[in-house]
Amino acid sequence: MYIYRIMLFLVFGGYLLSPQLMSGWVEPGAAWYRPFLIWGGLIALSVWLEQKRKLDER
Amino acid sequence: MSVSLGGILALGAGYLAMVFLCALAVERGWVPPRLIRHPGVYSLSLGVYASAWAVYGSVELASRIGYGYLAYYLGVSGAFLLVPVMLVPIQRLARTYQLASLADLFAFRFRSRWVGTLITLITLLAILPLLALQLKTFGDAIHRLTGAGSPIMLALILCLPIALLAIMFGARHSHLPVRHDTLLAAIAVESLVKLAAMLALGGVALYGVFDGPNDLQQWLTGPGLDLQARVARLETGQWRTLLMLFFAAAFLMPHMFHMTFTETPSRRALLQTGWSFPLYLLLMALPVPLILWAAQRLGIDTSASGAAYLAFDISTSPWVDGLAFIAGLAAASGTLIIVALALAGMVLNHLVLVAHPPGNRPNLYRWLLWLRRGLIVAVILGAWLFYRTVGIKHDLADLGLTAFVGIAQCLPGLLAILYWPGANRKGMVCGLVAGSTLWLLGLWLPLVADYSPLVLVPPGLDWLRDEPPWYAVTLIALYANILIFILVSLVTRTSEGERAAAEACSVDAVIRPKRLPLTARTGEDFKPLLAEALGSEVAEREVESALAALNLSSRDGRPYALRRLRDRIQANLSGLMGPSVAQDIVDRFLPYQSRSQATDDIHFVESRLEAYRSRFTGLARELDGLRRHHRRTLARLPIGLCIFDDDGELLMWNEALSRLSAVDGESIIGSHRDDLPAPWAELLARMHDEPHAYLYKQAVALASELRYLTLHKAVLDPEEGDRGAVVILVEDHSELKWLEDELLHSERLASIGRLAAGVAHEIGNPITGISSLVQNLRYDTEDPQVLESAEQIQQLTQRVSRIVGSLVGFAHGGRHVQGTRFVPVELRRLSDEALHLIRLARSGEDIIYDNFCPPGLKVMGDAQRLLQVLINLIGNARDASAPGSRVTLDASAREEWVLLSVTDEGHGIDESIRDRLFEPFTTTKPPGEGTGLGLPLVYSILREHHGDIQISSPPPDQTFGTRITLWLPRTLQDDSNADEPDSDR
Repeated sequence: MYIYRIMLFLVFGGYLLSPQLMSGWVEPGAAWYRPFLIWGGLIALSVWLEQKRKLDER
Repeated sequence: MSVSLGGILALGAGYLAMVFLCALAVERGWVPPRLIRHPGVYSLSLGVYASAWAVYGSVELASRIGYGYLAYYLGVSGAFLLVPVMLVPIQRLARTYQLASLADLFAFRFRSRWVGTLITLITLLAILPLLALQLKTFGDAIHRLTGAGSPIMLALILCLPIALLAIMFGARHSHLPVRHDTLLAAIAVESLVKLAAMLALGGVALYGVFDGPNDLQQWLTGPGLDLQARVARLETGQWRTLLMLFFAAAFLMPHMFHMTFTETPSRRALLQTGWSFPLYLLLMALPVPLILWAAQRLGIDTSASGAAYLAFDISTSPWVDGLAFIAGLAAASGTLIIVALALAGMVLNHLVLVAHPPGNRPNLYRWLLWLRRGLIVAVILGAWLFYRTVGIKHDLADLGLTAFVGIAQCLPGLLAILYWPGANRKGMVCGLVAGSTLWLLGLWLPLVADYSPLVLVPPGLDWLRDEPPWYAVTLIALYANILIFILVSLVTRTSEGERAAAEACSVDAVIRPKRLPLTARTGEDFKPLLAEALGSEVAEREVESALAALNLSSRDGRPYALRRLRDRIQANLSGLMGPSVAQDIVDRFLPYQSRSQATDDIHFVESRLEAYRSRFTGLARELDGLRRHHRRTLARLPIGLCIFDDDGELLMWNEALSRLSAVDGESIIGSHRDDLPAPWAELLARMHDEPHAYLYKQAVALASELRYLTLHKAVLDPEEGDRGAVVILVEDHSELKWLEDELLHSERLASIGRLAAGVAHEIGNPITGISSLVQNLRYDTEDPQVLESAEQIQQLTQRVSRIVGSLVGFAHGGRHVQGTRFVPVELRRLSDEALHLIRLARSGEDIIYDNFCPPGLKVMGDAQRLLQVLINLIGNARDASAPGSRVTLDASAREEWVLLSVTDEGHGIDESIRDRLFEPFTTTKPPGEGTGLGLPLVYSILREHHGDIQISSPPPDQTFGTRITLWLPRTLQDDSNADEPDSDR
């Protein structure tokens, strides 16, 4: 359940900060794949939390 | 125009035929079920979210707002990252109560058929633009590729196979919540195809137009920089609003609700979508800017109206055109199929059946099935009509945003279902009507009637007038919706039914379901009651199906079981006809007893707590741990324990009691005390009515034998709003009772033994007199006959003296007379004498005695005591033998031992007493004929001689009878005088 809270924090935190993230994506000279890298990182974190959740609920 | 109309239609037909064949392969079992039920397939099937908007609309949006197009993917990804928090609770509700759509969920929670109808109408209005968008992309794409044909007619051509596929693989059963493996597989294949096509298009853009990622980066920072700078940037508020709209779409859109909650193979699969579905969306989103940039690199005007179809322009190859077309077709067809299925179910349950209840009609299942199929066709044709009249005039973004803003009006209600038990129907309906009206006026009607959006901006929010209509309408409608919802809910009363449903739905509510007895007494009684509403055939089938699902017997009369059966039937009917109609039927035809008082359903609460265990945190987790600890303590107590509620319903039947009674607790928990199997109903009722707190050693005939049970009772009085209970402990005192009986018996025998010893002592004196007189007689006569008689009298008196001495010795602790000296004893002579003495007795005259003991075999011992052993054993053998049978004595030497055996052909020794033969008072003889002291004495004497005894019954070489073998220490010493059995001590 603590992991669920981490997820809630991540999603709503990301929601609130997303405009700032977005302004970073469109900076001139920024790598075009930067948004996808951040997104991929979030997915990797989600996979890790899912593994933790399984262990927690075992 | 590189492609012909016939060619592209053939490509489309070929693709749909491939999807059909894949689904057929699954249906026929050509694909392993393990593969179909793999969580990955389910994750792919959720790709139905990526509709034609994802293939064409996103490119159009990216050309207008740059990376803002990502909101479509990130919003829904955010919802799936919260799978355990948001989606799993909805899925649990949908599965438990067989809720197949958003309208079902709302109607169930707010306990109103009209709520379901309202949600269906709003969903219908909201989804039409999205369906029109799918058809529009199909028609426009073909028209753009071929320049031939009318987009409207092309879209109509697509409708036919879509309707057929939807009916064939999604409307095979009358129950909507039934999982469709074929449908799941078909949609997964479509998702895979569109992903592969999009990635291929991205590859063409990256390596065909650009020279790899570095070249792209150089172009973006060089020549392309001006083009990117011209792209409008979304304001912070607009970006967040878009994210929120697509977040809501993840579970509010009918096709997403259907795939996420109705087709879920398992909770594990749903949890896995928390990362796998966002990954899928990432891969779908990645090629979008690549296609846009490639088109810009090629000098195509991306700000023109056809920006959605830029993928067709990045290459002159017909293969690339084909890929772009297939990606769009796969996306559009999947969305159309699932939306048609889901909407048909909603319209059926919340419009058709509410207006025309099915009643008691024959072939109900068939009627419902064909109605659903008809509605699928109607939804698809309705979508085409909307496209023909409205959609044709608008671009993809307008159509899509209108749909997403409309469906978002259900978001406050859904969040309240999960997190606000205080919300009520009036508040939800008022808020929803207000928000939807603002949406209709601001976005939907302008779309249809082609007039300027009517945005009702409240005072103080004038800045919204300059914002895009979709943004202003979303904010105003949602704020109005939420505000009115909360206010009305707070000031109006919530009905009991709503409160109960809110508790069932709410994530964190204190769930205290009430229980009432039903009017029906058994599951069998449900059938005639339901037959009034559904007809006997359907009623029979529904009741049997529910019984099978719950693994209950139709004769089960437990109140708890009947309540679960009623709930299950309601859930199943909900899947068939929607929750409103289902609730009406069970409320009317399976009613509760109206005069009974509702009480807490503790058993149900416990099962819920077990199911939700992993979600507890902090103090709740500690308390649950404590509850489980106490429960386990009671369950595993080595003493039988059962707990009854105030009204006699069984709440607990622990493991020890299950073992004692041979009645499994699971099968009787929830029963009334009077309905327990015999003899427990009578015994526990007696205990319950007993004024004392105990019943001592009650004789109870259980399945195997008579047992003696002691019962203790503790009455828990009601306190602080909690109900009372009666706790009964059941102790098995049978062993103790038997031990007491044995002790009494032994005490009685010991008294007799002491008496016998006293008598024996008194007999000694006259025997001594007789012995002296016989001695005198021997001196006074020389008559050989008299002398022989005197000799025999002498021997018998000596024997009597020895017996008396032994009896006295046994009475004094089983020790033989002290001072005896062990000497070599010849077994042949000893056995001859024993047989001689045995033959003197009147009984057993017709028994044949054989003595095969070899002469000269000697053992160390007391001849008198050994003679006593032999007489006892031969006497026992004689008593056990039938007339005419043989008793055989034999002896043999084995190393330092001599084995002396006495074998009979009698009835043998019962196995049940074989282990207790050497215990005093154990006898195989009829009462009054044996004291049970012989063999203990034999054993005692053998232990004095350091020997042992072995019993075979029957012996290995016989089929009946007994052989008793004595192991005695052998001696090789030759002392012929020492083994005289008649020697005086």
